[in-house]
Amino acid sequence: MSLIEINNLTKEYKSANETVLAVNDLSFSIEQKEFVTLLGQSGSGKSTLLTVLGGLAKPTLGKIVVDEINVYELSTKSIADYRREYIGFVFQSFQLVPYLTVKENVSLPLSISDLTNREQKQLVNQILEKVHLENKAKRLINELSGGEQQRVAIARALINDPMIILADEPTGNLDSKTSEDIMKIFSNLNNDGKTIVMVTHNTAFKKYSHRSIELSEGRLIN
Amino acid sequence: MKLYNISLQSLRRRKAKTIFLIIGLILSVASVVTLLTVSKNVNASIAANLDEFGANIIITPKSDDISINYSGLSINSVSYNNKELHTNDVEKIRTIKNKDNISIIAPKLLSVETINPSNPDKGGTGNKNVLVCGIRFNDEMRLKKWWNVNGKIPSEANEVIIGSEIRKKLGIKLNEQLKIRNKNFLISGILDETGSQEDAMIFMDIKESQILLDKKDKVSLIEVAALCYDCPIEEIVRQTSSVLAGANVTPIKQTIESKMTAIHRFEHFSFGISLVIMIISMLIVFTNVNASVTERTKEIGIFLAVGFRRYHIMQIILLEVLTASFFAGLIGYLTGTISARFIIPVLTMDESIKIVYDNSLLILSTGFSLALGFIASFYPVVRATKLDPTTAFRSL
Repeated sequence: MSLIEINNLTKEYKSANETVLAVNDLSFSIEQKEFVTLLGQSGSGKSTLLTVLGGLAKPTLGKIVVDEINVYELSTKSIADYRREYIGFVFQSFQLVPYLTVKENVSLPLSISDLTNREQKQLVNQILEKVHLENKAKRLINELSGGEQQRVAIARALINDPMIILADEPTGNLDSKTSEDIMKIFSNLNNDGKTIVMVTHNTAFKKYSHRSIELSEGRLIN
Repeated sequence: MKLYNISLQSLRRRKAKTIFLIIGLILSVASVVTLLTVSKNVNASIAANLDEFGANIIITPKSDDISINYSGLSINSVSYNNKELHTNDVEKIRTIKNKDNISIIAPKLLSVETINPSNPDKGGTGNKNVLVCGIRFNDEMRLKKWWNVNGKIPSEANEVIIGSEIRKKLGIKLNEQLKIRNKNFLISGILDETGSQEDAMIFMDIKESQILLDKKDKVSLIEVAALCYDCPIEEIVRQTSSVLAGANVTPIKQTIESKMTAIHRFEHFSFGISLVIMIISMLIVFTNVNASVTERTKEIGIFLAVGFRRYHIMQIILLEVLTASFFAGLIGYLTGTISARFIIPVLTMDESIKIVYDNSLLILSTGFSLALGFIASFYPVVRATKLDPTTAFRSL
């Protein structure tokens, strides 16, 4: 069985004046340790798909099954647990907490765990070494460059050792050189066994992935 | 790192917002502490002043009366078994358990005397019967604050003050002589019209009157001003009755009730103002936290994305508010106490007033601040936890 199975997924957003069909009857699966890029124009439903995959938005129709768990049949508390255990998010705008330091941002997911401060510290140091930020642990986020901030975001996504990394345009705000560096990190993570689903506009990054899925107007076209 | 670390770091590093929140709470707590401290002290001052504004207990000698009836007609009443009051009864009143609540004791010796005006040509001829009252002028002037004396208060034994009616009745003026029982007295002062029986009385020193009227150590009645703000007047009456076996001790209910009404009105006014301030402060805190939650939509989205449950988010925000509220409570208490120190002398018009501070206000003000912070932030915090992840996530 595939790690991620998406069956007849439809997601609508209703506003005062209209209903937007962001995702329309999508069905596909993703295997464990697979690196999949989601391509498509703006408004094609890529980010919505990622949101639904991450347990942050209930689909209007259809289901998401991850590791044989029907995600949206879980209770609200259990969905939060699912996000914590299975998913690591990486966003285009990094989305770090501005008043926390690098190590505090990385250890954010651990603040609700049962790990002691010492155990947390050990884990954080290991992860920061992985993303080459061990010397900047005590810096505030606004003291870092864009590439460094994105590496902090990646470290935060990895701290709970999730099976799946969901990355929404992780290189969107970075220059090409830094983007390449970030993509190499993702590639290494995939080699280490992480399943990665990445939204990107940059078709050049297809080379890092095993497979690309193209969306248009909420539908699968490729 | 634990959740409380997130709250503390948020407070520590977002100083402007933290200070704004704390100032809002401090203003509220300080205002309420100031108001309560001022109210308590001003109430006590008002009560003390009111209590000294006229007597609220009258002590008279006990007597039994019997009505004489003949063939169904009421002929007369006769008093018998009359007790007397003495000067040393005044000192006995000062020995009761609630002696600290006794403000003024004003004994009086009353007698009707025939006055022979020194200059009969000036007004009326012949002898006049007038009521002569022996008093302690110091105590009486404290008790009867509405008295306005033209001239001076008697300082010598042979000086008297007369009521305005006496002046007209006898046709006499200030600094003229008046003969009572063949002894000359100087009219040192004339009482302005009071509209009471006092206008028709002559007042002299009580010791002089006891000698003159041959009633050594005797007293006709005693007026007492008791401080009844924080003790029941009935208890003072009971204690006084127990030390003065031969006396009727009567509280003047009307006087007491009107004083207490004035005091209670001030208390209610203070309470009303405190309530208004509390509501305004709650609105300030509510607005502050509500705006903070709106600003932190992205942050809440991050918390949701990394797997926080809703009550984790509630804990973070509530802990921030309660930490700020705790410190605001302490600082507010200090600020309020210091403010009261400067306001009370102004309101009581008494620079030397001894201010009474209530130490339990420290715990109350801190508790009040915590409660205020909690109540005012409850809705915004619940709103934060109910934030649709999609809404939060979209902002990411």
